[in-house]
Amino acid sequence: MKRLFNVMLLALFIAVYLPHNAGAGEVDILLQKLVEKGVLTQGEAQQVGTETKEQVKKEISQGKSFSLPAWVQNVKLKGDLRLRYQYKHDKATGDYEKDTNIGRVRARLGLEAKVNEKILAGIGIATGSGDPRSTNISFGDYNSKKTLVLDYAYAKYNALPWLTLVGGKMYLNDTLWEPTDLIWDTDITPEGAVIQLNKNVNPNLALSMNLGALIVSADTSSDTDAPMAYIIQPQASYKFNDDLSLKGALSFQSFHNVKGHACSKYASGSNTGITKIGSADATGNYVYDYQMLNPALELKVIQPFKALGLNIETLKLFGEYVNNLDVSKGASGYSMGFQFGNDKIEKWGDWQFRYVYAMLGRDAVLDVLPDSDRYSGKTGMRSHEGSLSYGLGKNVSLGLDVYRSWSIIGAKAPETLIQTDINMKF
Amino acid sequence: MKLIKLLMSAIFVFGIVFPCYAEKIVMEGSTTVLPIAQRAAEVFMQKNPQTDISVRGGGSGVGIASIIDGTCDIGNSSRPIKDSELDKAATNRKDIKAHVVAMDGIAVIVNPGNNISALSKKQIKDIYTGKVSGWSAVGGSGEKIVVISRDTSSGTFEAFGELVLDKEKVRPDALMQASNQAIASIVARTPGAIGYVGLGYISSEVKAVAVNGVMPSKETVLSNKYPIGRPLFMYTNGEPKGAAKELLDFIKSSEGQKLVEVEGFVGLK
Repeated sequence: MKRLFNVMLLALFIAVYLPHNAGAGEVDILLQKLVEKGVLTQGEAQQVGTETKEQVKKEISQGKSFSLPAWVQNVKLKGDLRLRYQYKHDKATGDYEKDTNIGRVRARLGLEAKVNEKILAGIGIATGSGDPRSTNISFGDYNSKKTLVLDYAYAKYNALPWLTLVGGKMYLNDTLWEPTDLIWDTDITPEGAVIQLNKNVNPNLALSMNLGALIVSADTSSDTDAPMAYIIQPQASYKFNDDLSLKGALSFQSFHNVKGHACSKYASGSNTGITKIGSADATGNYVYDYQMLNPALELKVIQPFKALGLNIETLKLFGEYVNNLDVSKGASGYSMGFQFGNDKIEKWGDWQFRYVYAMLGRDAVLDVLPDSDRYSGKTGMRSHEGSLSYGLGKNVSLGLDVYRSWSIIGAKAPETLIQTDINMKF
Repeated sequence: MKLIKLLMSAIFVFGIVFPCYAEKIVMEGSTTVLPIAQRAAEVFMQKNPQTDISVRGGGSGVGIASIIDGTCDIGNSSRPIKDSELDKAATNRKDIKAHVVAMDGIAVIVNPGNNISALSKKQIKDIYTGKVSGWSAVGGSGEKIVVISRDTSSGTFEAFGELVLDKEKVRPDALMQASNQAIASIVARTPGAIGYVGLGYISSEVKAVAVNGVMPSKETVLSNKYPIGRPLFMYTNGEPKGAAKELLDFIKSSEGQKLVEVEGFVGLK
């Protein structure tokens, strides 16, 4: 009884006092002395010591530890820098051929702060000119200084374990999930509000749903019916076993009041009727609204070639389809592809290969949304994309991305784009 | 207006359908901890027939994810919780509490016919990462080494990777197995094989080797002298209450720790 009392008293002392006043090594030394003196058994020392270390870790995570100022624990800084060499060969109408070589840089710096236990706020700046689909900036212009823009600024409210509200200019993956950038360039940071619902039904099945109201364009006083986008995307992930999982989603993305409005100056000018980008006159206005139905699937296999003796960490097969219900011709598009290698590029020797084939009808999606690298971000095209990433060290990777694209409207006007990147994350 | 109604309806339906309430104790996670959980649950239910305990495997990651997500009452893990998991728990307002229920030593085993009886951690690492492919390179016969490993989803694989391989990758031709028992069986019938298993899976059919000169045993694991030892955890959301508390108290008691040793692990008492 006395022994039990001693152990309980010691555990209480260590749990309350030591986390704030002593390091893990000192705890171990103290426990070992107590074992040597016969106060504790080796097993009891293990139990008390290990549980104490776990408690300290948890308290640090919860921001309760006194060892660091609260603001340090509540703020995370992150960023990345990408240096790119880009070669483009395009053959436009009239057999005019052009080669372009440019050097580009992308720098992004973000801050995420835990406002309180339920609210996160994120702010990010990046290089860029305001183009919603790109944070690259090209070198040149006699060493001119380059511009920084606000990339995102959002607040995330974790109201309940299954309910999160996000508002502001947010990450695309807070708005919806997509296996490829067929509809949305991944650099886009949508603006508006999103409700995220999610529930892990059991260890194998996770359900979620995103409901979003996004502002597309609302910048003129005479604009009484400003273009808005409403998005609903139910998602499901199912894990068949440790090595095989499937994720699927069906989204309906409704762009209201786009019809009749002037297209963005950042649009590709490839939708029907758009011949003059950014103009408010008849030739610069959108002809249709965009009511996009978009099913998407991704199958993930861990160690897919184990039986062949090949150590390839993951294989993903994915695809998505889009149909604009507002038009009858040139209304659909699809993409399909695969990815294999390491799931993430984190260190030396990690690698990943990805291939995507994509087709987009002229009016399948709004022409200010799709990947800006694939046929210069235009609709009405087909494209092959192959990319290879290779880890050069911790958080440093080399990338090679090759696109071969052509128009499916009129002359083919093929385009080859080759990008070589060095990426650094911090 | 219609949109707002649609959104509100969806939230309402989601709120009604999704929350679920478990009345029994659900334990989930590490396959290494599984035999302890199963044996303890069996004996506990005999003593407390009104309690229904469901025990599932899935791996340590699943156990910890489930306790954070609230889909189980006790999450079993053969590794400490990661910082990223603690961050997620803090975001989800979960107060994760660790309970050490046993110690495990990861024993490196070879076929009993193998003349090797001791290896250094570096030699084991070289074997598993592919730098060494024949037993002659580590003082054995000229036979080719057949490397057997746990699959990537197991907590034992993660622990071995951290404690021995310094997170380097296992050679691609290693035979990846889903359980400790499968590894022990293959090593027992394959002359050139090497594998690693929990201390509870050492038997007369395989030979455990000394690592850095220390044999795996209860004493060497508890005193941290054996270099490939680790605590086994059961995690709860906050201080356990009701039947979950009674079950954990039972596992930590002298009677529970005897069950731990029956299953071949190292008891703390």
